[in-house]
Amino acid sequence: MADRYFNPFQAIDINVPVDLHEAFTRYCQTGGNAVIDQSPFPRMVDLWFLAICVAARLGLEPADISKYDTKKIIDGSIFGSDPWRVQTLMLLAIGHSGDVQIVSEPRRMMALANGLAVAGLPKVVEMLKVGDADPIWNISDALDGLLRKEKAA
Amino acid sequence: MKLLRARFQNFRLLRDLELDFSSDTERKLTVVRAANESGKTTILHALQWALYGDAALPAKGEGFRLHPIDWEVADGRRVPITATVEFELTTFRRGAGGLRETRRQYRIVRSAYEEVDSTARRSPSTVKLFALNETGASPIDAPEALINEELPPELRDVFFTDGDRALSFIEADVALSTKRERVQRAIRSLLGLGVIDDAIKHVRKAATEVNKQAKQIGGGSQLNKIASRLEMIDEETTILESGLDDAKQQFVAFDEKVEQTDRKIAAALQKGDKEQLKKDLETAKRKIKQLDDQLAAANKEHAALFRSRRLAGDLLAPILGRAFEKLEELHDQGKIPNTTVPVLEDRLEAEICICGESLKPGDPESHRRRAHIQKLIDDSQRADAIQKTITGLYYEARPQQTAGNEVRWLDDYEKVVKSRDGLQLLRDEAGREFRALELQLDALPDMDIQGLRETRRQYKEQRDRYLSKRTEIDTRLSGLQREREGLSQERDRLLREQKRGARIIAELEVTQDVANVLQSAYDRITSEELRKVSDLMNSIFLEMIGADPEQGAIIRRAEISSEFDIIVYGPNNRTLNPDRDLNGASRRALTLAFILALTKVSEVEAPNVIDTPLGMTSGYVKRSILRTAVRETAQLVLFLTHDEIAGCEEIIDEAAGAVFTLTNPAHYPKMLVNDPGVAERKVLRCECDHRNECRLCQRRADAQVELQMAV
Repeated sequence: MADRYFNPFQAIDINVPVDLHEAFTRYCQTGGNAVIDQSPFPRMVDLWFLAICVAARLGLEPADISKYDTKKIIDGSIFGSDPWRVQTLMLLAIGHSGDVQIVSEPRRMMALANGLAVAGLPKVVEMLKVGDADPIWNISDALDGLLRKEKAA
Repeated sequence: MKLLRARFQNFRLLRDLELDFSSDTERKLTVVRAANESGKTTILHALQWALYGDAALPAKGEGFRLHPIDWEVADGRRVPITATVEFELTTFRRGAGGLRETRRQYRIVRSAYEEVDSTARRSPSTVKLFALNETGASPIDAPEALINEELPPELRDVFFTDGDRALSFIEADVALSTKRERVQRAIRSLLGLGVIDDAIKHVRKAATEVNKQAKQIGGGSQLNKIASRLEMIDEETTILESGLDDAKQQFVAFDEKVEQTDRKIAAALQKGDKEQLKKDLETAKRKIKQLDDQLAAANKEHAALFRSRRLAGDLLAPILGRAFEKLEELHDQGKIPNTTVPVLEDRLEAEICICGESLKPGDPESHRRRAHIQKLIDDSQRADAIQKTITGLYYEARPQQTAGNEVRWLDDYEKVVKSRDGLQLLRDEAGREFRALELQLDALPDMDIQGLRETRRQYKEQRDRYLSKRTEIDTRLSGLQREREGLSQERDRLLREQKRGARIIAELEVTQDVANVLQSAYDRITSEELRKVSDLMNSIFLEMIGADPEQGAIIRRAEISSEFDIIVYGPNNRTLNPDRDLNGASRRALTLAFILALTKVSEVEAPNVIDTPLGMTSGYVKRSILRTAVRETAQLVLFLTHDEIAGCEEIIDEAAGAVFTLTNPAHYPKMLVNDPGVAERKVLRCECDHRNECRLCQRRADAQVELQMAV
């Protein structure tokens, strides 16, 4: 990219279904006195982004977000501080659609990402909950298992 | 505000003492030379008592005797105590010829009576304020209002401090939240954010009133029920918020008491010849603190794993692989990198085509070829934006791609697990060692130590009780907040169905908008001013310690974080622990730099009265601290011992507008050469400056005193 910090998602809000909003307050350290082992994600965008990655990894279909009552969690300006995420979302869109022209359509790329996030969030919440340890260890082990399975395959 | 004069009568050691302070803008330093136990701390208390009353005394004055300990009952069973302070205020008024400066002088007098018995009961103090003019003194009502405006009580610790107490902003022994509370309170008070706080409360009240209107139009309906519940939530929230403030303050107070008691236990152990046990306990505590810090850092590293690029790369490897295949194809087709446009433009400028034909303007054939090339350039430029993006993706993101079935995140995770597990083992071991030492302490027959330990246990219990109260209130408040959100939405929906509802909704929206504006103003001012204080503190601090080669090599900068922590950084941005990694002089410099920066950024013209600011400092650093402190303040009053003055005489020559000496006659004959001939215990003043001595203040040399003590 000519401009290293070009962020096509700058003006786009990120919304999640109201039912899933609680997961963000529960598992993200944005509430002040968070205990890291209980709330492993430094920011809401981190949980949202991991949900996309997990959904894509598991081959889940993007959810149709228009069917849900939604609530805004963050806006696209947050990617300004993490340019690699902008690149990853673009590559994800190219890989998913097979069309490089999609990089000129930020809203289409974001719709895909958000659809994947909504599809992946229940899975990530399950990863956080299932296990005998604190959420940080539960999800670490779940991700470890997911990546190892693929490695072995 | 500038201090001019002070007079104290029957205030502990200050039976009758008058002080005068330099208010000169050029020579703004006042030095009060006084050896230890010569009334320095008492003067600091007396000045604050005059201005703020009992609230400024230790333990808010409870059980704190004010009258002289050797007061003769024959002189009366009720002792009149008085503290008088004269000060000057400068105000500016915009007039026809620009800003007009006005200086006014005031006198505040506080007095109280105290019973001479074991309880030392004291009558509530009476305070009066007078404006001084050429013809006399005119009384002014509500003295507190003027004092609180000019010297906000929340900043008392900043305006009146002692070198040791100042360290409380960074000391490691108290809880992190305690230090944060101290720094946060000082900064928020400095900014006068109370005004915005009040405005937010006012808007909240207005919203409650509008909600009442909703209740009225709702009759006995669901709307009425919801509006009533919202009203109750608002009332409960106000009560809980005040309880939360109280719990926070109490936690800080008890945390400080635990820490003070720890120091007393350490002192008692030293006295009781248990030096080794004291050392072992200190080492064990330090080790635990160090391991806790490392564990916290390891936890953060663990959390960082979930936002890492590697995790995304590994999880998305299959789908990103497909994207890169696509980009690879474009690369093979020569579309990445995109070089067409520059090459064609270059040809047009050179007026010769790649094939060697002429592109000179004027010739019809050349003109046709030029038009064709121009069209190619235009087409390419339309696709250029996309090509630029994908070229960037190809060259920047591709090297980060996870290759084959390599899974890099697993290595990172393994490292974190090893680090956390290893540290936890060490932490458990350190905890066991500490508990074993505590058992040794429990077994000591020393009653003093056992008493102190019992006191500590009680303070700790109280501290923990307030911590638990804090969390309990926090939880209840978030529950109420959530319930409020849900009910507000439902109320607004029901209001929309009502005829008169639209107006009420509009009013509610206005109050919400105003509340949001105020809140963001509050947050913004806090963060901007915090940055200013942080930057100024850093520059003052670095200047103060600049000449210390030992510290200069390890300290790079200091800052106040957005969480209100004072942090010092070493090489490679490594954080330093002020208690372990900074020497005494640097710690003192850091806290003084914080205090001076706060006063300066507040733009309040206020005195800084500091007791023993140069203890534990020497040489160039000591002089540098003094010189910088003089430069950065509006008025500086320093209580200095003879040792602190040594080496700084020339700076005092230049900067001081007033220097005098205080002497405690009880120091004769051990420390004073001549008998002052005073039977009572009281502090005496002489006009000797930092270079001279008189019959009253002449002291024996340290060596002589030590020799005498030994004999």
